[in-house]
Order: sequence, then structure tokens, then C-alpha cells
Amino acid sequence: MTIFSQLRQRGAARYLASIAAGALIGLSTLSASAQQPVTLNFWDMIWGPPEYIDAAKGLVDQFNTEHPEIKVEYRSVPWNNWYQTFVTAIGAGTAPDVSTGAGYQAVQLYDLGAIRPVDDLVEEMKASGDLDDFLPGTVDTLRYDDHYVALPWGLDIRVWFYRKDLLEAAGIAVPTNWQELRDAAKALTKDGKYGVVASGDTGGSHYIYNAILNNGGGLFTADRKLDLKSERNVEALQYLAGMAADGSVSPASVGYNSDDRRGAFTRGEAAFMLDGPGAIDQAGDQAANIGIVPPLAGPHGDKGTIFWVNNIMVYQQTQHPEEVKTFLKWWSKNQKELWTKGRSGQLPTRASIAADPYFTGSPSRSYVLENYVPTGKTTATQAEGIFPALNEVEGEGVMQTLVQEIWQGKDLGASLDTAEQRLRGILGE
Amino acid sequence: MTTAQNVLPRAAGSWRESARAWIRSGGALPFLLLAPSVILMLTVIAYPIVTGFYYSFTDGSLLKFGRFIGLDNYTELLVSRDFHRAVVFSLVFAAANVAGCYLLGLGLALLMNQEVPGRAFFRVALLLPWIVPSIVSIVSWRWMMADDRALFNQIIGFFGGSPIFFLSDEHWATVAVIVIKIWRSFPFMMLSLLAALQGIDRTLYEAAEIDGATRWQAFRHVTMPQIANISIVLGLLMTIWSVNDFDTPWLLTQGGPANATENLVLLAYRYTFGRNDVGLGSATSFVTLIILMGLVVVMLRRQKGADR
Repeated sequence: MTIFSQLRQRGAARYLASIAAGALIGLSTLSASAQQPVTLNFWDMIWGPPEYIDAAKGLVDQFNTEHPEIKVEYRSVPWNNWYQTFVTAIGAGTAPDVSTGAGYQAVQLYDLGAIRPVDDLVEEMKASGDLDDFLPGTVDTLRYDDHYVALPWGLDIRVWFYRKDLLEAAGIAVPTNWQELRDAAKALTKDGKYGVVASGDTGGSHYIYNAILNNGGGLFTADRKLDLKSERNVEALQYLAGMAADGSVSPASVGYNSDDRRGAFTRGEAAFMLDGPGAIDQAGDQAANIGIVPPLAGPHGDKGTIFWVNNIMVYQQTQHPEEVKTFLKWWSKNQKELWTKGRSGQLPTRASIAADPYFTGSPSRSYVLENYVPTGKTTATQAEGIFPALNEVEGEGVMQTLVQEIWQGKDLGASLDTAEQRLRGILGE
Repeated sequence: MTTAQNVLPRAAGSWRESARAWIRSGGALPFLLLAPSVILMLTVIAYPIVTGFYYSFTDGSLLKFGRFIGLDNYTELLVSRDFHRAVVFSLVFAAANVAGCYLLGLGLALLMNQEVPGRAFFRVALLLPWIVPSIVSIVSWRWMMADDRALFNQIIGFFGGSPIFFLSDEHWATVAVIVIKIWRSFPFMMLSLLAALQGIDRTLYEAAEIDGATRWQAFRHVTMPQIANISIVLGLLMTIWSVNDFDTPWLLTQGGPANATENLVLLAYRYTFGRNDVGLGSATSFVTLIILMGLVVVMLRRQKGADR
């Protein structure tokens, strides 16, 4: 029986009504599926105390409420085995759409073909003027292979701290240059206390980066060739070795890790320490006794310190690049609560966030932002931007061994030769 | 005419029939029962070993599969100063640990084998270093020796000595790593030797006493031969565990100062995850395996000698 004969038998009106009803149901299903939000996976490293995760989740919830067409799923990723976590996910085709990550992660994964550059987003931000909100140099640090491989969000930087109580008791002024620091450290080394406390771990290697960058040096030439034994670098390392030879550096520094170093400084066992901007917040009831040394002038008048531009990156595996861009743009502008609620140990890369009372109301944070951040340089200096080999340079342990040998008072020339040989091996030069 | 086409189906048919007959007779049952374990072993042991062995001939990273480069990783490793230092430290560490654990473990086992007051309590208490998680015990040790204000230096100072920076000096750091490893490992040695001592037939000692043997002679000619086999097995296990120990040097010194306490396992870890060179890390692991196999062969030969 054809539909026409049915129409004749049962009445056209009934069938037309049925067809109309069916069409309506079908359309409403289509409309429902069109409203189904696009799901994005956002993996975020843990950038602060436990409240950081709650703050980040809160921000994601806010984004989801404001953007019903996109649903971002937040996953907090611990730092343990982060490398394997991301590499395995990329290999298995289960990479996130977007993630934060370690300083050089974006360039490393870009080399693997796993990162989608954010050139279009940067262009849009440039056109709208939003790019001007980023602190100078932060965006361009993430330019690699003629692409912006990620968007900056946080800064980690090394700053000299001093114990106000020890300096006041000895009647010593806060140093402003290398010689004053060395003299003050020597004068304060007495009664079981030391001028400087350092460490022999990765945090200890930051003393080297700080010194060579402060002196206008850098690990690399402009064309990314190793330049460890440049005149400025050697002069900087001789300065550190000189402080060790003065007896001003705590002998325990060689075996200390960063927590030990921080603990010794907080207990008032040393007058000066190099650490991240969060050191005062972590000092508990000793916070009032800790001050920030102004950026020191090197023997040639240079100023500088090491900093890392932490970033947020997009993965090639994403099926929703436009939605990711929407999220990234929103996240970049609205992430203030990562600090105000999440108490992240990073500093913001956006001037608008740095202008928040959370930073301006804190003398230490605002001081670092105003005085140290403009002098910040990357491990890649004198080369521009960052590149994948920096991860191995920082992670392989060459600089840790070098700084341990400096604190031990070993022959600097021999230590430098060994370090250079090992670094050349890593860089394949 | 007989052709291959005619013969092959018949041969295949007879093969299938004999296989069926073999299965029906129950001959396949042991293999079927063993199959899950064999598959599991192949998956979790053989596969990583084979792939790791292949990686040791490539220049890959954690991010990229490498290309085949022959023996380059092995030649680079064998001329590397880091490798030479790690081999020496691994051997010193293993030898000192085996000797220290054995002497301490045997001494305490002999003591616990006597009727001493509070024996049950001491037997349990002496197991604590073995039971406490390594992160807890080693971090506690760090606190006790980290600087001039730490407990050990307070004690040294009490007796008028100058502070020792145990973790800042290559020699003291090596001693510290070895002592802590012995402290963590001796309970296993003690427990195993105590079990062996309790298994010795008492009549052997009675016979020795009747023959006029002194306590030293009884120990030398009765106790030692009776625990010789277990001693060699324990020495073997302790050697393997010492060469493969990651926790103790990593948590105490991270291989420092100046790489003085970096063993082969830490070196393999540094190459793989620090330098991002999976090929060199795998080559280091395989050389470690070869060294361990050499040590095992030597010890097994000694055990055969003891058996004879």
C-alpha cells in the first residue's frame, strides 16, 4: 500500500498532521544537538598551594557559565613525571586541547609537531591593542621557528633577599652592587652565621645564571652556540668563587637543596639568599625580617637576573581550534584569581593584573615587578627567545655540578672545562 | 606424478591430526596452564628489555624515536668520565654495603640466637630500618647531618670536634650514603641469617664440644659451613639491590656533591630524563645489567664451590 492510498483511506489531514509532528520532533532534536556544548580538555600544572587548584577550577566554572556553547573540563596535573604525562598523551592521541606547562615545554612539543602555534591569536591581540598589556619581552620570548608557540601567563624570577635583622645589628647598609654584596657577606660571616646561603641543586644553579646575566653575559651567542667561557661569564663565576673563598658562603650549601637553603635563611643562619619572589610569603613569622636587595649593579654597571616565562599552549590534536582560541583569550584576561584566591607563586605577565591591589598592596611583589622583572633575561641569553635544548641544559645537572664545585672552592678553570665539555655534548656541538 | 601440490595438503593434514592427538592425550595441558604466566612475563619483562636494548642503538629522545646509530652510545659511554666514576662508585657502594650488612647482620643474628633478655622486642625493633619507608628514613638522616647545627655536629661539638659537612664533601658523602644503605639493609640480612642459624642441628655443636672445640672453632667449623650457601645467596641479592639502588643516593645527595655518589642507575636516569637521551640512558642500563650478570656468575660459581 502506497502512502497515497493510505492518505485516501485514512484522510489526508491526519497524515499531514503526523508528518508535521514528526518534522517538529526531528527539528527539535537537531536544534538540541546544535546546542550541545563543545568539550575542551584543559590540563593545568599545579602553580601554587592547594587553593590554586580551587581558584583555577572556579575560573573554569565561570568561563563555562559565560560560554554555554563551550564546556571546559579542568584537570590538575602534578609536576611529578609531567614530561611522560604529556608525551604519553600525545603519543596515544589523547593530548589535551590546551595546557599550561614547564618553561620550555611548548618549544619541545612544537618540535614534535604536537603544538599548534597561536600566531592568529597574537595577531588579533595586537590589532585590538590587548598585546600591549603584556610585560615587555614576555610574548616574544615564546617566539620560536617564526611562530608564537604559546601565550605567556606567569613569570618566575630570581631575586636577592637579605635579613633585615642581621644587617641592622651589624650596621651594614643594603648592598647595591657586587662589591658591596661581597663586603657585606664577608662582614656578616661570624658567630656561626654566614653571609650567603645557597644550595647545590637546581636552585643552586640559579646563582650561576643570576651572576652571569647580571654581568651582561649569557650561556649562548646570538646564534645559539655555547659561550660558557666568555669573558663576562668567567668574571661572574670568579665573583661567586671569590665569595666562597672569603668563607662567606655556608659550607653546607653544597649539600643543601632549595628547601634546606630557604630553611637556613628563614632561621636567620645567613644574611643573603637568592630565591623566587614567593620566599617572603613562605617565611611565616620571619617575613618581617626579610627584605629584597635592589637589583645589583655588576662591575661594569650591568643589571640582570634569570627569569622564566611560563605559558599556556594549544595542541595540534584539538578538534576545536576556534573554541580553544575563545577560551585562551578569556583565560588570559580573567586569570587574576589565580593569584588573589589561588596565591600562585608566579608573577603575572599582564600589566593589568600586576596593577591589582593584590600586587600593588604588597611591597615585596610590587618591588619585584617594578625593579627586577624589567631586568629579567632567559637562560637562552644572548640568543633570542627560547629553544628546546634549554630543557636539557637546565635539567642534565651540569650547572648543579658546577655550582657545587664553586661552593667547594675547587679550581674554577678545571670545573669550567668539564662543564663546557658536558654542555657541548648535550648540545651536540 | 607426485608434486609439491599433492604432498603439502597431506603433510598439513597429518600435522593437524598429530596436533589433535597430542591435545586429546593431554600433552598440551601443561603449556596451556603455563601460557598466561608466560604471556605476562613476556609482556612485563621481555618486551621492555628487548625495546630497551633496541633503544640503546638509537639516538632517540623521550619525545622522538631515534634513528639507528650502531654502537655510538656504547662507545660514548665507555669513554665518558661520568661513566667511569659511576662504575667505581657502584662497585665500592655494593662491596661496602654487602660487607657491612653481612657483618652487622651476622653479629646481630648470632646475638638474637642467644637467650638474651628482651630478645623478642629487639628482634622486632631491629627490623624497623627495613620497614620504615625510604623517603621517611633518608630525609630524617639528612636532617641529622645536613649542616653544622644538625644532630651529628651537635654531638661532635659536644666532644670538642669541629663540624663536618657530611653532604658537602665527596668522601664524607660517600661514607654517609654507604652507612645509610647498610642501616636500611642489614635487617633483611639479620633475619635470613637468624633463620639459617636456627636451622643448624644442635648435635653438631654438642659433638664439637665433646671434641674439645672452642667457641671460635665451633663458629668457624660448624656455623660458617652451615650458613655458607645462604650467605652466598644473600650476598648475591644484596649486590644486585646495591647496584640497583636509586632511593638512597637520590634522596640523600641526588648523586652529589660533584657527582661523587652517582651510581649507574642515577647516571642512566640523568641521561634519560635530564639529558633527554633515551639511547644513552638505555645503553647505561644495559652495561649495568652486564656488570650485574658478571657479578652473579662469579657468585654462583662460588656457591657451586661451596656446595662441593
